Amino acid sequence: MGKPAEILPGTLDMLILKAVSLEPLHGYGVLLRIRQISGDALEIPQGSLYPALYRLEHQGLLAAEWGQSENNRRAKYYTLTGAGRRRLREETAGWNRLVSAIAAALNTTSEEV
Amino acid sequence: MLARIRSLLRALVSRRDFEAGMTEELRFHIEQYTDELVRSGIPPEEARRRARMDFGRVDTVKGDCREARGLMLFDELSREFRYAARLLRKTPGFTTTALLTVALCLGANLTIFAVIDSILLRPLPFPDAQRLVTLYNTYPKAGVERDGSSLTNYYERRGRTPAFSSLSIYRFGTAIVGEPGSTEREQTTHVSPDFFTTLGVGPFMGRGFTEQETTYQTNAVAILTYDYWRQHFNADPHVIGRQIRVDDLPKTVIGVLPPGFHLLSSQAQLYFPLASRPEDRAPRRRHAGGNVIQMIARLKPGATLDRAQSQIDAQNASLETDDPQAKMIADAGFRTIVTPLHADHVAAVRPTLLLLQAGVLVLLLIGTVNLANLLLIRANGRAKEIAVRQALGASRTHLVREVLVETTQITLFGGLIGLAVAAGGIRLLTVLGADRLPLGAQIAFDARLALAALLAAIAMGIALAMPIIWLHFRGSGNALRSETRSATTGRAAQTLKQGFVVAQIALAFVLLAGAGLLGLSLKRAMAIYPGFEADHVLTGQVSMIGKKYPAASAGLAFTDRLVDELDRQPGVLSAGVVNNVPFSGRSGKSAATVKGYVRRPGEPLLGHYSYGVGGDYFRAMGFHLRAGRFLKAADSRRPERVCVVDEDFARHYWPHTSPLGHQLFQGSEPGPDTEAFTVVGVVDSIKQAGLTDETAQGAVYYPYIYRPESDIFVVTRTSIPLESLRLTLQRVVRQVDPELSANDIQSMGDRIADSLVSRRSPALLAGLFCGIALLLTGIGTYGVLSYAVAQRGREIGVRMALGAQPSQIRTQFLTLALRLFIGGTALGSVGDWLTGKAMQSVLFHVPALSIFALGCAAGIMALISLVACLLPANRAARISPMQALAEQ
Repeated sequence: MGKPAEILPGTLDMLILKAVSLEPLHGYGVLLRIRQISGDALEIPQGSLYPALYRLEHQGLLAAEWGQSENNRRAKYYTLTGAGRRRLREETAGWNRLVSAIAAALNTTSEEV
Repeated sequence: MLARIRSLLRALVSRRDFEAGMTEELRFHIEQYTDELVRSGIPPEEARRRARMDFGRVDTVKGDCREARGLMLFDELSREFRYAARLLRKTPGFTTTALLTVALCLGANLTIFAVIDSILLRPLPFPDAQRLVTLYNTYPKAGVERDGSSLTNYYERRGRTPAFSSLSIYRFGTAIVGEPGSTEREQTTHVSPDFFTTLGVGPFMGRGFTEQETTYQTNAVAILTYDYWRQHFNADPHVIGRQIRVDDLPKTVIGVLPPGFHLLSSQAQLYFPLASRPEDRAPRRRHAGGNVIQMIARLKPGATLDRAQSQIDAQNASLETDDPQAKMIADAGFRTIVTPLHADHVAAVRPTLLLLQAGVLVLLLIGTVNLANLLLIRANGRAKEIAVRQALGASRTHLVREVLVETTQITLFGGLIGLAVAAGGIRLLTVLGADRLPLGAQIAFDARLALAALLAAIAMGIALAMPIIWLHFRGSGNALRSETRSATTGRAAQTLKQGFVVAQIALAFVLLAGAGLLGLSLKRAMAIYPGFEADHVLTGQVSMIGKKYPAASAGLAFTDRLVDELDRQPGVLSAGVVNNVPFSGRSGKSAATVKGYVRRPGEPLLGHYSYGVGGDYFRAMGFHLRAGRFLKAADSRRPERVCVVDEDFARHYWPHTSPLGHQLFQGSEPGPDTEAFTVVGVVDSIKQAGLTDETAQGAVYYPYIYRPESDIFVVTRTSIPLESLRLTLQRVVRQVDPELSANDIQSMGDRIADSLVSRRSPALLAGLFCGIALLLTGIGTYGVLSYAVAQRGREIGVRMALGAQPSQIRTQFLTLALRLFIGGTALGSVGDWLTGKAMQSVLFHVPALSIFALGCAAGIMALISLVACLLPANRAARISPMQALAEQ
């Protein structure tokens, strides 16, 4: 397993929404969860995580609430709102279309042209 | 979108919580990360360093988070706001002038706007109020512009005019309410059963009036207003069915109106059914309106005013065919006008209010131009700084925003003070009689006004920023160059400033001349002779309550005793009674038929003022006798009927002969000879409706017994101060009948003065606006010339070093001032002419372009400009060459 890959531009929001959709998380938890569900393949730049979280909350896709962390510290937990769930569905579908289109394009052999 | 605004607002409102939360969240993250690194075997010290490094600069992240929340713009704005505030604090003189200018100009505008808003703009407080119309009969050729509607009209029209969903009538009145011993005079309204349906607002408790309650046998019911219910019944929830005494008759309360219910300007507290007898509704009473009963109708959805008008016209035409008086009615130009209720109610004050609003808008324009000039001068001082910043890469948006923040800051604070000025202004207007305007009682300082102030302040701030932005960006290199040489400022900027001064002078000139026209009109109106000697006359109103004075003879007995008693009081020269004093606000007319007079074909029957007089009315009021004799108290008791006519009446019917000895009848038809009145005297024509009323209406004075009314005016002429007679009048009325009292006691002088309030108050206000405008113009002219002198200090120094005389320098600046003044007045004269034409409807005997008013205005303007430019010109002449050159 090599060094974790930088995430593609534009996919950060989608990954955050996905991570939070599994269970409510605090910021650091989002980071860990993305690392975990991507099999340590993706690493989020820490500095851009929080602006993204704030932006998603501002857009009403995430809701935030203060709670207790696993080690009994006060932490801000993010949950997915209804709008967030819809957005995640759309983005996932869009992403899948894009991936299969690119894959199809890349798998094309010279005979098929 | 809504979610975003809410999230931004939450962050803005609890900004401290937002910041603290963000700090805590980020710290938590870094600590968790450090812990993880420590767990993976890195020494704590090293782990902390690594964690901070991997996270990046906390401040940058925080900034990004704030931006994500949309807070950046606000942070920057508040920074610029503080910066602008600091700059303003450094120049207290400028700031005070600017704030006061904005406060006065906006305050004056808000004051007048408050009046316009509540009187002209705000819809009447009824559902779909724009569909409410009023109908009235008019007989223009008989001199009767407005005669209300008759009962017959109502019963003939309701349900038969398809354009109306509902039609009703009402009549204002007063009544004595309460048990004997604790009675009060209340304003009342008698209404037809469908009145509340027409308005769309009915009792919130109990019920409205029914058709059965419109006869004199069944009308013993009343509906109370909310206020009356609260004040007199302690808001008793079981008030329905309780009894009250009205004019000594019992009435049952059947309903209570919702809070705030009022019809137009009426303050009526009690509503009664409008009862009548069948004969009052008969066709021959169709034209007996007398402007007592008014009609309101509601247009059906989709029905237009034009359709309603044509339906009413058609109905009138078909009804008149079987009217024996049809010819006479047609000759009088009879028509029934259908017109929007609100617009009709405020039609009389509309031109004056719009004129005043135009006046204050001009004032606002002067203030804005003045402020723009001051700001330009100020901005000039910073032109170099701005140019350098631009050269160093400051963004245009940033600079524009900076200017906007500065100007709106001034206008917003000024607007705030302006609101206080408006609060005071509304008070002042009340003193000047604004609350007596139609709907004037509704004038209020409210949220709408505050919102208007906010919008106006922001608009003014943006307008003020424009010239400065223009100055900064008209070729950025330009400013840098001209400022470094610091010889002369940009020619364009100077021209703009001088142009502003010219505009200011022109506007102030227009305002001044407009106020002059109003003042001149007032003066001309005040100089009119009312037809009698109004000094030393005290008048008061007495209402004889129906039950005790059913017959005219009882009324006569009362008035005779009253006059006798008054005559005995010390200081009373003569006393009399009349059913309607001049300037009482009532000016109803009725017909008289001169025996033997044949109207020319097409000549309508005229309406005349008709008075019933008792005692020594003519001497008490100060009439001049032109022929014959006055009426005497005894004329009411003598079998032969006599009357006195005025000169207008005499001139109309007997242009070539003396009217004495001729006979006339009351009403529109000749009667039997026994009912003829013989003319025994001719008196001067008087002004009944107001000093500026110029129609020769004609008047007939009958002895009281032939024109008895229960509402009379007592008139006393005295040699002692009027104030001391006031109590005597009260006492004598009580002495003659303890149950009666004298109301509305006023001297004739006051009544006349009151009748001019619609001319005096606008003239006073216009004068006030002019004062402010002149002050502003003075400041503006002075500011620009001072600046010109300061800018050209070096040039002047050089010229003086080369031998120029101080007087030459002074002349140069005076010439500049003269040019500005001439430009301004020339432009202003054109404006004056247009203003005068627009004002024609409110002027009285004054031409649109009054040379006198123009001359005065020009003189005052010249004086102000001269003073404003003499000071800087003198300073220029005293510049010492050495000093001027050394300073640069």
